[in-house]
Amino acid sequence: MVHHPSPASQRRQAGQRQQRGVSAGGRRRPARRRNPWTAALAILGVVAVLVVSFVLVRWATTPVAVPDQPASAAEAMAILTSIPAADLDRVGIGSATPSVRRISEPALTSPGGRPAVLYIGAEFCPYCAAERWPLIVALARFGTFSNVGTAASSATDVFPSTPTFTFAGSTYTSRFLDLVAVEQDVSGGGSLTEAQRALQQRYSGGGIPFLDFGNRAVLVGSTFSPALLQGVSRDAAAGALRDPATERARAMLGSANLLTAALCLATDQRPAEVCSSPGVLAAAGHLA
Amino acid sequence: MSSRLRLGLVAAAGLLGLAVSVYLTQVHSASAALLCSTDGVVNCERVLSSAYGVIGGTGVPTAAAGIAWFAVSLGLALQRWRRPGSALLSRLHLLWSGVGLAVVLGLVFVEIVLLGALCAWCTVAHAMVMATVLALVIAEAEPVTG
Repeated sequence: MVHHPSPASQRRQAGQRQQRGVSAGGRRRPARRRNPWTAALAILGVVAVLVVSFVLVRWATTPVAVPDQPASAAEAMAILTSIPAADLDRVGIGSATPSVRRISEPALTSPGGRPAVLYIGAEFCPYCAAERWPLIVALARFGTFSNVGTAASSATDVFPSTPTFTFAGSTYTSRFLDLVAVEQDVSGGGSLTEAQRALQQRYSGGGIPFLDFGNRAVLVGSTFSPALLQGVSRDAAAGALRDPATERARAMLGSANLLTAALCLATDQRPAEVCSSPGVLAAAGHLA
Repeated sequence: MSSRLRLGLVAAAGLLGLAVSVYLTQVHSASAALLCSTDGVVNCERVLSSAYGVIGGTGVPTAAAGIAWFAVSLGLALQRWRRPGSALLSRLHLLWSGVGLAVVLGLVFVEIVLLGALCAWCTVAHAMVMATVLALVIAEAEPVTG
């Protein structure tokens, strides 16, 4: 007896043939093969075009030259932010004045929860001019500066025209702490909250430079005399830091170790490789 | 290339990406030292300590999202190893890889355009996402073989 399949069975069989690539007549259709590399290369191409576009956008939107930051300033910053740890360890406290003192206050933190370091200064101020040097050295061990400009203290004050840097318009990023830097005599140099102003009043009576290390320590004034920076160019002063035996290096690197020890109080001794370095440990013993 | 070998490659990329993501998350949580350049264009510190180093200001490191993505990708690869013929798993994996690629492109945009710095570790993780995407796309286009 001849068996005629039902219409439903015919459809099922046709579907199965289609899946196997076999035609109703029993002949195998040539398999429709896609080149597997075509799609992959297309994706790679699109990604490459996007990355190149990103680079071009960055290139087109980056200023050709940053005002106030000539090559010499960048070179000086490069020296300050890459002092070898061995040189800092060798200097210890050096000839710096150990005027950083511990305080006991509720921890000062930024909105992001990191310890906050408050710097209040002004560009005219010669003591601020001096203290910015070791402060940059110290903070560079915890994070990265960008757009730090150059400045000089007032030409008509004591220690006239002390070469220095300015934090106005700069940014600082760190995983360990946040820096609040205010240059009070510069338009756009930052502003103080009432709480910050109250801290400054309490510990320095409004004097500058004032540094609060997360409410674990404070510094009022500079830890070495601006006289060390008189009659010297910024480049020459920075270059002197390459030799830890020089008078300027002993003062500024010693001061940097003191400030680093204070920063370590704020960050609960992190990062360990910085806070447990011999130079910082030596300086920590001099925190009043 | 056999589908098993491709899945093996996807799993290897997932494991490496997972290891990198765990490392970056651990470094963030413990504030430990990061083995990476901190000068010039390659500057992990600048990238990881930026506002984009955490997810939407939550305090959760962006690298934690990498852990989640690679873990799911590894899980899908394992399931596909067990059930090689599953079209659903295959499509899910491809979809997941697409999500990963979109996020990676967003992060690369942040690194290059907004920060002007590249994080070497992040780039390794991004490359692993890319490798996963390519392996899955090739697998989708090729006829199934043992």
